[in-house]
Amino acid sequence: MLKDAKNILAQIPSSVTYADVRIVNQNSEDIATKDGVVEALQSNHSLGYNVRILKDGVWGFAASHDMSESGIDATIKKAMSIAAASAPYKIDDVQLDDQKPIKDTYKTPIKEDPFTVPMEEKMELLLKADNAQRVSEKIAVSQAMYHANKEHKYFVSTLGSEIDQEIIWTGAGIEATAVEGSDLQNRSYPNSFRGQNQTRGYELVRGLDLVGHAPQIAEEAVKLLSADTCPTGEFDIILDGNQLALQIHESCGHAVELDRVLGYEASYAGTSFLTPEKLYEFQYGSSIVNLTADATIPGGLGTFAYDDEGTPAQRTYLVKEGMFQDYITSRDTVKKLQNRNPKYQNRTSNGTVRASSWNRLPMIRMTNINLEPGGEEGTGKGWSLDELIADTKYGIFMSTNRSWSIDDKRYNFQFGTEIAWEIKEGKLGRMLKNPTYQGITPEFWNSCDAICGRDEWTVWGTPNCGKGQPSQVMYTGHGASPSRFKKVKVGVVKW
Amino acid sequence: MLGQTKLKKIAEKVLKLSKADQTEVLLSVSEDALTRFANNHIHQNMAWNNLGISVRVIYGKKIGVASTNAFDKESLKDVVERASTLAKLQSPDPNFQSLPTPLSTPEVDKEVFKATEEEMASSVHTVIKQAQAEGLIASGAYANDVSEFAVANSLGVWAYHAGSSCNLSTIVLGKNSSGFAADVARKSSEVDAQTVGQVAVQKTLESKDPESIEPGEYEVILEPQAVSEMMAFLQWYGPNARIYHENASPLSGQMGKQVFGNNITLIDDPFHEKVFPMPFDFEGQPKRKITFVEKGILKNIAYDSYYAKKYGAKNTGHALPAPNTMGPIPLHFYIAPGDKTRDEMIRSVKRGLLVTRLWYVRVLNPKALNVTGMTRDGTFLIENGKIVKPVMNLRFNQSIPKALNNVVAIENKLTQLASFEGEMISLAPTLHIRKWEFSSGTLF
Repeated sequence: MLKDAKNILAQIPSSVTYADVRIVNQNSEDIATKDGVVEALQSNHSLGYNVRILKDGVWGFAASHDMSESGIDATIKKAMSIAAASAPYKIDDVQLDDQKPIKDTYKTPIKEDPFTVPMEEKMELLLKADNAQRVSEKIAVSQAMYHANKEHKYFVSTLGSEIDQEIIWTGAGIEATAVEGSDLQNRSYPNSFRGQNQTRGYELVRGLDLVGHAPQIAEEAVKLLSADTCPTGEFDIILDGNQLALQIHESCGHAVELDRVLGYEASYAGTSFLTPEKLYEFQYGSSIVNLTADATIPGGLGTFAYDDEGTPAQRTYLVKEGMFQDYITSRDTVKKLQNRNPKYQNRTSNGTVRASSWNRLPMIRMTNINLEPGGEEGTGKGWSLDELIADTKYGIFMSTNRSWSIDDKRYNFQFGTEIAWEIKEGKLGRMLKNPTYQGITPEFWNSCDAICGRDEWTVWGTPNCGKGQPSQVMYTGHGASPSRFKKVKVGVVKW
Repeated sequence: MLGQTKLKKIAEKVLKLSKADQTEVLLSVSEDALTRFANNHIHQNMAWNNLGISVRVIYGKKIGVASTNAFDKESLKDVVERASTLAKLQSPDPNFQSLPTPLSTPEVDKEVFKATEEEMASSVHTVIKQAQAEGLIASGAYANDVSEFAVANSLGVWAYHAGSSCNLSTIVLGKNSSGFAADVARKSSEVDAQTVGQVAVQKTLESKDPESIEPGEYEVILEPQAVSEMMAFLQWYGPNARIYHENASPLSGQMGKQVFGNNITLIDDPFHEKVFPMPFDFEGQPKRKITFVEKGILKNIAYDSYYAKKYGAKNTGHALPAPNTMGPIPLHFYIAPGDKTRDEMIRSVKRGLLVTRLWYVRVLNPKALNVTGMTRDGTFLIENGKIVKPVMNLRFNQSIPKALNNVVAIENKLTQLASFEGEMISLAPTLHIRKWEFSSGTLF
């Protein structure tokens, strides 16, 4: 299909400053069980292409499923007329960074193609994991889910780039819901909201042991019904890696998207407090906090070889030893940033632009945004979770996200987790239900005083990141290990 | 657009290709465009078209679903084969009884209107000019959606609808304030860009230099946008047969009982004069006006064919596309208007907050329907019946059922509110609520 993409590109009038074409062929399959029955069994396919042109200093974008000659002609003409309609109202010209053409192919390295594993086998596994949650009459709902996605992208541009890329990712998880009277409690494994997701094959699902973990999480859901409510106050908290992943996503990942920072997402999810003058000057976190955007981590859900502008995948420090260091960028936003902050001169896109489908505009998206593990350069001691708990006089250990919310500049956040345990004199004590915590992003990250080491570091997948108009749901990853934060406002909700 | 005759032929072809006991086909055709602006200029401008076909096949009680976005012969054959293969591998769903049989669906206007890119850019510029005149920054989006949708099944169901919408929304930014406004209409000529710009600019100017305020319990006036953002969660977690019967809804087990204040009546009306009509659901079953809560008493919940048969209830026409793991959901849900004007409500507040919008609302516990979120784009302190100053945004943690048991007054009219995309309109009045729990502030 690279040939088809080149054919479309060749038909774009030479009057454009720049153009690229993406053909995307997407296949996915889903299985969802509920209460011992396969509730959803689905196979999806979508194929289409888009034409993105830069003409007279403005972008034009059109996409279609119709790959006939007349369809291609109409799509190109539409992109041209859209650019012509925008041009009279421009305030400046879009400028792109300098890039070299790339010709390459890439395929996610996997051990076992999830699409070739017999469907019966996958259903049987989920049904077993679903049924194994029935440990009590108080379990109102038992669920198991599996998803696999194969996205073949063909990218060509007037720079001369020709990139053939196949991204495969897989996910699975289980969730038990216990109900008693007016109380409802959930427990999920290995994570809430669609389990764990990675750019790996079916080996990911095999390694999760969903069936083995099902009774334990169901028992925890039942125990939560009679557990004490998380106390209210300012406490030290330890966040498990699966919760910290979403904390990173909301308070760092979205905050460093340069299009958001420059106001281009203001009309939807808002802007960011990390304004350009703060670059290199702002103490985002404590001195052990190192946050990276790394699209090269094997297995990360935000891992690829090239972004949807043809820029190579990269590893970038966003925060280094607490200091705000960089944004995630695109070819056109780096130029705008250079105009706002001269220290950013000579930088090019760090390769984070992706589109959720052939019919969506490529835009800055998180890749794998990570809190680097303890025990490495500039990250302090590499604690084990046991050591961290033993080092905590009084605190709350919180695991597995249940709710999340953040304001439209990414300052004030509140998270709830499915479960927590009280820590007293270095020991894990009573189970606590309905844990919540709240904070202001830089204050929170500056209170981080310990991060567990690489042995406990996992790249968690967040397959449901929403952004843009029309909305795009993107798959992103977050490397995290359990970490401690001092004097955090806990138990903020009156239950 | 392909038109009813062509789509019906495609559906018939698919039904003929299937050897299953029962087969359902959903067809969609879309031609969409969106002009997005920020920093007082258009930065994203796009158009796209697509087809959609989703096939649900049933062998006995075994169900499989497959989809694709092409209508050629090979693709139709492939999608039926994939769905059939999955169904044959399935284990039977003991609760499944049958796809629905045909019922006549109401006739509604099917005329569609396409906006040109020039019309969209011009409306956007109307908003931008007003922001620029006040030294402010406009951002927003103008979406034009045109679509056809059809449902057919092997028991004789055939339902077809076409619709379109034009939706212009903006957030205008000042140095330390912002304002939101939107308009939605069937035709681009009916979109009032001038008023959208004026309202958003006015809100931005009024909310300039906000002061911080102590969090705590406040009386609130929630404007329609905020009410709609709150009610979306009751719509999903409230009268939903799946969640209701799982005992996971705040309404579970409350049929016939007083669930909200006696001034609350909740209606689902897909034919209300202010919404774009939706004559049938995603199983081709007719929709109708239903009162879910009358004077605070729970009267009905939403069913599709699956849950209606499972629980011996009547199908209310609230199916979503298969496979639906969320349950049947009312999509045209609103609080019936009351008898007060917005200004009368403000005048009756001794000390409280006027809230324009809620933001990033998320459920803390679906059973209690506690939600958290932020205020956004204009929050104001009311003292002794007057708006006295803008205040910084606040985080709230609030039970929706408790709020609906504390409604002091309801506005005497419903405002049309568009979703950010698509052809859905929600309706909401302004609400005066006695108690609303704010737990913390932010820095702007």
